[in-house]
Amino acid sequence: MSRRTKTRPIQRFSRQIIISHWWNATAFFILYLSGLPLYTEWFDFLYVFFGGPENARLVHRVFAVVICLPIVFMLLFDRKGFFHWIKSIFTWSKRDIQFLLAFPKEFFGRNPKYPPQDFYNGGEKLNSLLQILCIGMLVISGFIMWLPDFFPQFLVRWAFPMHNIGFGLAAAVVVGHIYLSIGHPNSRVSMQGMTKGYVPEWYAEEHHGKWYEELKEQERKKQGAETQDAQGKQAVSQ
Amino acid sequence: MPEYIKFVDVTKCDGCRACMVACKNWNDLPVATEEYSGSIQSHEKVNAYTWNVITYTEHETADGGFEWLFRHQSCLHCVEAACEKACPEDAISHTEFGSVVVDHDKCVGCGYCVQNCIFDVIELATYKDKNGKEYRKAQKCTLCTDRLEQGLLPACVRACHSGCLQYGKKEEILAEAEKRLEKVKERFPNANIYNPPGINGSATVYLLAEKPSVYGLPEDPKLPASLTLWKDYLRPASKALMGVTLTAVLGAVIANARNKGPEEQEGGQDNQ
Repeated sequence: MSRRTKTRPIQRFSRQIIISHWWNATAFFILYLSGLPLYTEWFDFLYVFFGGPENARLVHRVFAVVICLPIVFMLLFDRKGFFHWIKSIFTWSKRDIQFLLAFPKEFFGRNPKYPPQDFYNGGEKLNSLLQILCIGMLVISGFIMWLPDFFPQFLVRWAFPMHNIGFGLAAAVVVGHIYLSIGHPNSRVSMQGMTKGYVPEWYAEEHHGKWYEELKEQERKKQGAETQDAQGKQAVSQ
Repeated sequence: MPEYIKFVDVTKCDGCRACMVACKNWNDLPVATEEYSGSIQSHEKVNAYTWNVITYTEHETADGGFEWLFRHQSCLHCVEAACEKACPEDAISHTEFGSVVVDHDKCVGCGYCVQNCIFDVIELATYKDKNGKEYRKAQKCTLCTDRLEQGLLPACVRACHSGCLQYGKKEEILAEAEKRLEKVKERFPNANIYNPPGINGSATVYLLAEKPSVYGLPEDPKLPASLTLWKDYLRPASKALMGVTLTAVLGAVIANARNKGPEEQEGGQDNQ
């Protein structure tokens, strides 16, 4: 029943985080589309959309730079949100591991028990960490492949397999990420957090219990302070 | 068809460069001038427009004398060719003659072959299309595959006057190479036959007067470990990983669709 009553929108992501996310996602897909024909000739038909191999490579380089910019954008306009994210995903506790252990069951339609989750649950933390790892590998190896004349040959040669690990892993992770955000009945409500910036209260309570409790606690304190304030004012006026 | 190979007996080379001229001529390659480097050698190394170069190595003999070491440098046509393995477009292949050739309709000029060639041979040539837009294609010696198809010798072999360059049946050539090796050992004690086992040999076999490194050749060339890891392990692994993820998502879609009870629909109604 709580789902019917607790529909109040709870703010989840700032507008800056939402912009950065979709900025990153757009560049991510353009990079895949322009890069896949160089992965295997099976994707050569994609060259048509870019106007030939030369243009595809140009687009790939332009968006390689574009995908690096959200971090600058976040540092300029929402440092708090950025560091909250970084700090959260590197902070691991038992409840994150328990979430990951129970997750496969939930993924395939069961409703397992796991402890109340933080602002980012164990899966979201893992998703962020893997994508950061992948983009790190892709940017470093991509930079070397872009300017091979400035690097020793063995580095250039190792950049190719490194790029392969990066995009192979990132693609696999993103498939799961997309399904969970638009397809999976339990988690797709979370998409609202990345579009409107809000999730319904019941969703915050069910999926991010620990964060929800912290919000409640803050609210209570705030109310308490207000009551005290009011009482204080009354006392002064008396 | 018996296997044919090219044999370069550097001890017979007199550095006349007729092979270079014949190559440019037959393959219609443009002039590629380089600044004078202080050496009598014409080019630093082979490049996209100069498919063979006679290298002039200044060498000190054991008794303190001076000698030129000449080498006809061109693509070796490796049996296990790194360029072929590195190509993402399947544009590089072996012909029936054992030569390694680039299909220019397929080549997109990415340069992966350039980075992975262990002999630093293949390079990108720049061209201009009708609209003046530049594009690049990988270029290197073809072993004159077009001539071989017509029953002709490679242009460089045809032009060689000293008998340094030969083309013939593999067993005969290798037997000849062994004989020559015995003969030149007196004068060049370090002489050796260069037919690298690490790449399963090549369609060009050298008789070198000195150790390979003296000529700037790798002593024991192998495919780069990074290339093997990339093409033989990571590519199949990344495809498999994608398959596993897609299968898992498909499984989840089905499992969750079958799961849809009244409870679930209630959840959906909240989503307003």
